[in-house]
Amino acid sequence: MPLSGRRSRLAWAITAGSALLFAALLTRQTGVHAQSPGQNQLTVYSPRTSYSVPLLEVNGQPYAGLVELLEPLGSVDARIDGKKYKLHFTPPGGRPLEVQFTGGKDKGKVRGNGYKLPANFILQNGRGYLPLSVTSDLVSKLLATDTEFHAAARRLFIGNIQLRYTLELHKDNPSRLLLGFSSPVNPSIATEPGRVRLTFRREPIVSTGPENVPYSDPLISGASFSEHDGLAELDVTGTAPMMANFADGGRTIIITGAPAAAPVTQEAPAPLPPAPANPQNPSPQPRQPAAPRFLVLIDPAHGGSDIGAAITPSLPEKDVVLALARRVQHELANRGIAAGLLRNSDVAITLDQRATWTNAARPALYIALHAANTGQGVHVFTAMLPAANLSPQGFLPWDTAQAAFLDLSGSVAGSVAAELESRKLPNATLLAPLRPMNNIAAPAIAVEIAPPAGNVDEIASAAYQEQVAQSIAAGVAAVRAKLPEVRP
Amino acid sequence: MTRRVLVMFAVLAAIAVGLGFYALHLKRKVARDEQLAAEQQRALAPLSNGPPTTVTLYIASDSDGTLRRTQVNVTLPPERTERDRAVLRALFEQYLPSSSPHPIGAGADVRDVYLLGDDTAVVDTNAAFADAHPSGVLAEELTVASIVVTLNANDSKIGRVKILVNGQERETLAGHADLRRFYEASNIGQVVKDMQ
Ligand SMILES: [Zn+2]
Repeated sequence: MPLSGRRSRLAWAITAGSALLFAALLTRQTGVHAQSPGQNQLTVYSPRTSYSVPLLEVNGQPYAGLVELLEPLGSVDARIDGKKYKLHFTPPGGRPLEVQFTGGKDKGKVRGNGYKLPANFILQNGRGYLPLSVTSDLVSKLLATDTEFHAAARRLFIGNIQLRYTLELHKDNPSRLLLGFSSPVNPSIATEPGRVRLTFRREPIVSTGPENVPYSDPLISGASFSEHDGLAELDVTGTAPMMANFADGGRTIIITGAPAAAPVTQEAPAPLPPAPANPQNPSPQPRQPAAPRFLVLIDPAHGGSDIGAAITPSLPEKDVVLALARRVQHELANRGIAAGLLRNSDVAITLDQRATWTNAARPALYIALHAANTGQGVHVFTAMLPAANLSPQGFLPWDTAQAAFLDLSGSVAGSVAAELESRKLPNATLLAPLRPMNNIAAPAIAVEIAPPAGNVDEIASAAYQEQVAQSIAAGVAAVRAKLPEVRP
Repeated sequence: MTRRVLVMFAVLAAIAVGLGFYALHLKRKVARDEQLAAEQQRALAPLSNGPPTTVTLYIASDSDGTLRRTQVNVTLPPERTERDRAVLRALFEQYLPSSSPHPIGAGADVRDVYLLGDDTAVVDTNAAFADAHPSGVLAEELTVASIVVTLNANDSKIGRVKILVNGQERETLAGHADLRRFYEASNIGQVVKDMQ
């Protein structure tokens, strides 16, 4: 039936076209547009957790999903009956509280009392949305606690959890700007010549003093605070390349000049701590062969678009291991051991680059850090090498560069496992075909942390990470004498 | 709005609803067809007539990071590489349910197994095997080890195994385990002992 086939195709084309037109018309009428994630979101900081709520733009007004707003704060049971929206919210240890709204109406009820919205409640795809401007008040009523809402920046603080910072300029040579925080922070750090930008997504950082602080200093010219799109930023400007280092378990961030030899860029590894000899003397005298030193290089795995494992939908492995790496660095420093990070921000580095940079830095020990949501406890790995094709001498074959160091790597792994054991953390040591371990020309271990006991969120808890970091640092310190120092 | 516009709106609305139903119908049909095709493919490839053979599988467990030796009955085709493939498919069968002790992501399959010489097997997996595999050092190592040891247990001449994804070499399985190398069954065997 060629004719009827052609006709029906034509009919479909016409109906499809008109339906599309109609659909386009409908969307225009109500003006509902979903925004791309990240661009338009509310960040909520509560004593239990920090999270973001995607916002919906309706008739030019931002709206927040009621379930997305309340679910992380307690248990939520929402029901829709026609245009009626009914939600029961139960705060931790409390009784269920009722919230009622009607789609397309601005009047509702919260805990039995009348509640007027500044704009109509929206029902869309089985979800209820309320104007962003009332989220703070509603949460305050439901949790019976103070809230603070930074409307323009789209940040909502529940309880008195705002985290303040201090700025302290030390006019040493080079100058250092100390950013102090009352509890540990883990911002992402972007550097470009003359500028270091710290972006805080999860921390409730607020400013108490002036938002712009100028300095009359040869290196550091100013620091400014800003907040927007659900995040806070501290921007430090200067006259030369600068770098950021963490100290005091993440409570202090030190901004200072980057060594001239290692310009800080987004792509390059974070600069290593200076060799112990003459750190304050940058004079360009002819170089003596540097003395051997003991440097640990920590490699927080993944980064950038490579998020590693999704520990939870909002917790990528790359963030967990960066936080852990900073803790390990700090714990090593406490034991008098200098350590550098292969990345100190959210940047992508290929596996081959990791090995190349590590071998160029000539560390006494390489530690790769991973995190996973399968299994339990901590696994310490040394390299499982591919079948050896050893060259006579001199150059190490790339694929089996680790072969010459396997015994030392095994000693470190055993020592770290013993420290984990003494802290009663479930652990195991194994060989693994993990890249780029086989390419590392130095003693090398990898540590993969899994949640301590089933609860996946625990993997990012300060207490757990601190225990793991202390175990690693103590394990390294215990075998330090066995590991040769290396000339840079 | 004029009467004419209202009528047009009503007609268009009716068409949109009708089209929606048709789209739903099409979507269901496509899903049904795909499922049928997958089932047919599964049924066709590994099975042949003949008595079931007992094969040995080394099944990984994420919770304690071990491989457990298990035996199952599978009807094996006569040809050696087809047999190796059927053994690996029986292994994947254990991993596909989300309730598995070591789930490896939906749709994972072995496209082909071929031999280099007498002792080296090249296992060509499909894209879903790597793309949907859980990311992690231990999780990926367990998968690789269970493939290598299971192959060796059922075809003892296989001493080396290389894993391809969709006919191509990959750098890693899901960010961790090296897939550029050949795995030695003896080497992995030692690791499996360490795991137990
Ligand atoms: Zn990883």
